[in-house]
Amino acid sequence: MFRNVNSDPNGERDMTRRELDAWLLAEDGGDEEAADAAFSQVFSAVPKVEPSPMFVEQALNASWAWRARRRRRLALSWSAAAVLAVVAAASLVLASAVFTRTVVQVVAFVSGHMVPWLVAYASVAVHGWLTLGHVGAVVAGTLVTPGRVAALVGVELVGILAFYALWRVAGAERLGDVQV
Amino acid sequence: MERSDAELARDARAGSEAAYRELVTRYATPAVNFTYRLVHDRALAEDLAQEGFLRVYQRLETFDSERRFSSWFFQVLRNVTIDYLRVHRIPTASLDELEEDGRRVPVADQEGASPEELAGQRELASAMTAALSRLRPEYREVVVLRYQEGLTQPEIAQTLGLPAGTVKTYLHRARKEMAELLAAGGWGPPSGEPAPGKTL
Repeated sequence: MFRNVNSDPNGERDMTRRELDAWLLAEDGGDEEAADAAFSQVFSAVPKVEPSPMFVEQALNASWAWRARRRRRLALSWSAAAVLAVVAAASLVLASAVFTRTVVQVVAFVSGHMVPWLVAYASVAVHGWLTLGHVGAVVAGTLVTPGRVAALVGVELVGILAFYALWRVAGAERLGDVQV
Repeated sequence: MERSDAELARDARAGSEAAYRELVTRYATPAVNFTYRLVHDRALAEDLAQEGFLRVYQRLETFDSERRFSSWFFQVLRNVTIDYLRVHRIPTASLDELEEDGRRVPVADQEGASPEELAGQRELASAMTAALSRLRPEYREVVVLRYQEGLTQPEIAQTLGLPAGTVKTYLHRARKEMAELLAAGGWGPPSGEPAPGKTL
């Protein structure tokens, strides 16, 4: 038998008492493994706190209740999703007819009002372009004659020759500066 | 042949009520015992344990069957308990309550044990329980998980989210403190023997 040594210092020592001492000795000696094993033996004296008899049923009931709530929520969610899908599809069908009619009306209205304006603007633009072309042709017909072309070519040749002579003169002066 | 916790968890996840019932039955005492060591209130410990089982049921999908079920279970249970203690700011049990706990400790009758032996066992169990109750909560956790629930040090580390070295240190210090508390309560060696500890 083991006992509190303060209350019974001369009694015989039993196995549990020896285990207690073995633990304390191992602890004091720093033998971690032995202390761990001996303490494990001694600690087995400490009883576990037992749950009440109804504990298991209560725990299970709580879990089943949660599961039932979850299933209800899931069913509700699926139902709501299905209803939403049906309503959305129906709305789409109904709306598509209205939408198509509206689009056609808008396109017809816009095109009906825009086409005459577009035709008018295009006519004005084409007319302007043709007028410019006519003016250009008249100017060209007036200016371009054989005599005028010959005179123009002659003037251009004279200009080129003058430019060439100027370049030669400038080159000769630069050479002369270097020689000086 | 008894089915493993992991098999039961897998079946419960698949919808087996019987498997979940078996798990709850198997872990009811460890759960209540563990939470009781943290809150020192039996009714509250049972409530928290029930909440823990519910949380486990809700999260069975996340259980990794490669991991030991008990380690995962105590991790969930501990989180439930810690969350509750944080929200409600429950103080640690008073010394009077702990001494009361110590006096109430029941000891299972053992075959062939004399009334004297039973009385002695009861006395030691009370002293151990009172000493355990006086430990810091983090020490209490590791002691209960190691010596009552049989988790290994790596499993305790995983359960509590602590480094393995810290768990080892906690266990060592917890045993030391319990030795000192027992010595202070008169559980030293008989007079005339060399004292094994600083107080015994």
